[in-house]
Amino acid sequence: MILNLAAVLLVTSSFTVHTDTTLAVKTGVRLQVNNFGGEIAISTWGKNAVHIEAEHSFRTEVGIETTEGAIKVETRGRRGTPNATDFKIVIPAWMGVKLSGLYTDVEVEGSQADVRAETVKGSIKVKGGRGYVSLHSVEGSVSVEGAQGKIELESVNEGIEATDIEGEISAETVNGDVVLAGVKSPSVEVSTVNGNICYQGEIAKGGHYSFATHNGDVGLTLPDDASASVSVSTFSGDFESDFKAKLADTGGKRFSFTLGSGDAEIALESFEGTVRLRRAGEKCDESR
Amino acid sequence: MTHEWTDRLSEYLDGELEARERARVEAHLAGCAECARTLAELKAVVARASRLPEYPPEADLWPGIERRLAPRRRLLDLRALLSGGPRVSVPIPQLLAAGLAVMLLTAGAVWLALERRTTLRVVPGPQPAPVAGLAAPDTIAPEAAGAVAADFGFSRYDAAIADLERTLSQHRGQLDPATVRVVELNLRLIDRAISQARRALESDPANPYLNNHLADQMRLKVDVLRQVTALIHA
Repeated sequence: MILNLAAVLLVTSSFTVHTDTTLAVKTGVRLQVNNFGGEIAISTWGKNAVHIEAEHSFRTEVGIETTEGAIKVETRGRRGTPNATDFKIVIPAWMGVKLSGLYTDVEVEGSQADVRAETVKGSIKVKGGRGYVSLHSVEGSVSVEGAQGKIELESVNEGIEATDIEGEISAETVNGDVVLAGVKSPSVEVSTVNGNICYQGEIAKGGHYSFATHNGDVGLTLPDDASASVSVSTFSGDFESDFKAKLADTGGKRFSFTLGSGDAEIALESFEGTVRLRRAGEKCDESR
Repeated sequence: MTHEWTDRLSEYLDGELEARERARVEAHLAGCAECARTLAELKAVVARASRLPEYPPEADLWPGIERRLAPRRRLLDLRALLSGGPRVSVPIPQLLAAGLAVMLLTAGAVWLALERRTTLRVVPGPQPAPVAGLAAPDTIAPEAAGAVAADFGFSRYDAAIADLERTLSQHRGQLDPATVRVVELNLRLIDRAISQARRALESDPANPYLNNHLADQMRLKVDVLRQVTALIHA
């Protein structure tokens, strides 16, 4: 009897509930999703409406609150911590999103607006994003493609990848590689502690570019006509270059040189790794 | 003390509230000893900050300082992470540690920017370009004669780190053990970098890059510890 009751309770508690709703929205409304665990998958369409689907346990409640400026979606445990919930949400491309979670993977595709995502134990993948794109995971990887604007990418224990991005860019992790390709930016700042850095992109006139790692290599693939003042700093590392340059020793194992007329500033630092400058067309193979 | 009132206290202290809201906060403060105590401690942080020595940057250095600060000022936004979920109450020691860290970062960044001026100096007489294998540190003449080891702020970073590590140690049981393992792995990586940078500085104490690098690693450790200790209260 008791076993039967327990079995019924177990089955009941693990029932999957399907939430499915569509809300009309006015231009300018933002979406906020806070999902304790599971997945948040955002895609876009041409309608001024938000379609929310969620698969969740009977013991987890999905709350949807609409205010004048935002739609707020969150998971709540009926008794304690919410169970994992998978969201599939379709939004207008113009809608800014703010997504957060602890044990949550985040995916966004097709956004033409701000994208902010933060998770602790999950990865973040974004295709698109305009304006302010801020992606932060503690234990997961962060990747972005085709974003434009102010782009901030952070992880702690995984790598960061960005492709075909444009704007002011910063990328920082502790234990992972940072790979940036197809970049158009006047301002790039990249750092990692235990990882390599790979950069392929334009060097804008007057731009500032900083790449720093402790225990890894730094590889930059630059256009033949790159014009920049380059400084290289290391403690026990090496420097290799496809570009011929006269070096000016600035003390320690630091030196600088000028490519073209030196219109941009590039700072390259690796405490114990190799710094490499390659010409366009050469593959950046620093990523592990 | 609710989060609503915590937010209001910051705004109240910053003089950002309208008269009506300000009166509401003051009425609440009159009957809430905890909020009154919190306000007093916040005021103490502000007062402490105002007593810090000033290192005004030269105007032309500001863009560089700004570049260094901007991408790093962001921390895990717990309020956003938990919006609509359980309310977060950050204890006063955390607030004090965070305030101290911000002060240190600002002062440190100014110093670093000033120190960078030496990095950009070009020594006359270009040298042949080595393709690989740079000379050992002790084969290159040291920086300017009379230069001293730059340890500005490092001891204070140490203090902030010790505070945050103590908090983490006391509350680690509240975190997912797997997360703790991952965080500790990353902290060890940063510690190793800090240790190596310190050793390198012993052989070349005036090296701006090494000073810079050490400061960056310590700043990163403070960031990571702050993120993790914030999670404790989530």
